[in-house]
Amino acid sequence: MASVAEVRAAVDAALQQVSEGQAAIEAARQRIGEAQQSLAAALDGSASDLVGAAHASLSQADQQLEECLGATFVAVEQAQTYTAQL
Amino acid sequence: MSLLQELGAQLRATSDELPTGLVTAAMERLRNATEILNWVREQSVDDLGVPMLGNATEHAERAAAALRATQDAIEAYLAAIGLAGTPGAAPGQEWRAALREDDRPTAEAPGPAEKPEALGPWWQQRVAQLTGEPAPEKQQPPEQTGTPELLRRVAAGVRAGDRARLGRELHAVTASTGLGLSAVTAPVLHRLAGDLLGHEPRPEDVPRLRSAAESRVRALLPGTPPAVLETLIGRICRAPVKEQPRGGTAADPATDPAGSGHPAGSPHPADNAVTASVLTGVLLARLGRDAAALNPDAPEPVRRPTEADEDRR
Repeated sequence: MASVAEVRAAVDAALQQVSEGQAAIEAARQRIGEAQQSLAAALDGSASDLVGAAHASLSQADQQLEECLGATFVAVEQAQTYTAQL
Repeated sequence: MSLLQELGAQLRATSDELPTGLVTAAMERLRNATEILNWVREQSVDDLGVPMLGNATEHAERAAAALRATQDAIEAYLAAIGLAGTPGAAPGQEWRAALREDDRPTAEAPGPAEKPEALGPWWQQRVAQLTGEPAPEKQQPPEQTGTPELLRRVAAGVRAGDRARLGRELHAVTASTGLGLSAVTAPVLHRLAGDLLGHEPRPEDVPRLRSAAESRVRALLPGTPPAVLETLIGRICRAPVKEQPRGGTAADPATDPAGSGHPAGSPHPADNAVTASVLTGVLLARLGRDAAALNPDAPEPVRRPTEADEDRR
């Protein structure tokens, strides 16, 4: 028979995983920012389509991670709202 | 070094340092969280944020694909300017970062990990079902082993073919440490599979990996649902993975014959973590490497010429 304490503990464990995922995403975004600067410096003046593609996909990766982070914040709020009602 | 070579080296370094490993680790954490919440909310009309976590995971998957596209574009550019094949860092080094305890991302806010473990019995019950090895009768306080060290211990148990030892190692840790195996193993599995196959794992490699690992994983984890291993192999090979069936209730003996209290239709959050760690040990053993090869500072393994062809013969 599960207790409220056990449900809370399980949700807390899930939120800990989310929290660690968020930390990884933030670190990844920082690294992407550094890569963008490095690419911009190295490839300044290039007219190659491939350079454009590299810049575009890096921006896309950053955008997706930003949206990922936003979704995790909403998820955490929903889970916390639920456990507050227990 | 010529100016062009210098440019090539700089671009390669940028490509090598793209955070593919961090994004993979984040995806695994989010999948863990989703599985735990799914397990908690079974039969509840409240979604507990699960759909939003699903969205988050999809965004992370797209980010990972975009990072790979960036690496491909840089590689194509280097080829276009005549620098294809110039040496950069050894490929596939994300696994080292995943196994380095200090580098692993941790939340800044004090979390449940700092509170007494409340999920110990829950973790141990599932470990017992997966391994067939009961939890020790005299319960010791959970060891403060980090997840990378746990993975090395599991791999040593797998190498020895010792299911009792495997069970002991998994029973000895907290649920949080054990669940961390999912994130830590993801880049390691990709690398080991690549070494075994002799190339980057592809969707068509699923049958080869399955035949290389299935029987040993089943022998060591008789209680693991087959779909868990199939999903793991699919992820390694980046193959489309079929949705695991959901349904069934804990109270229904038809769907929960073991009386585990766990609904038979939904994956238990511990399944992926435990199975991934054993699969890591199995692939390592197939490569003839021991658990020390999972040390983040271990020298780059020398690939034997015949290794990739082992399965073909």
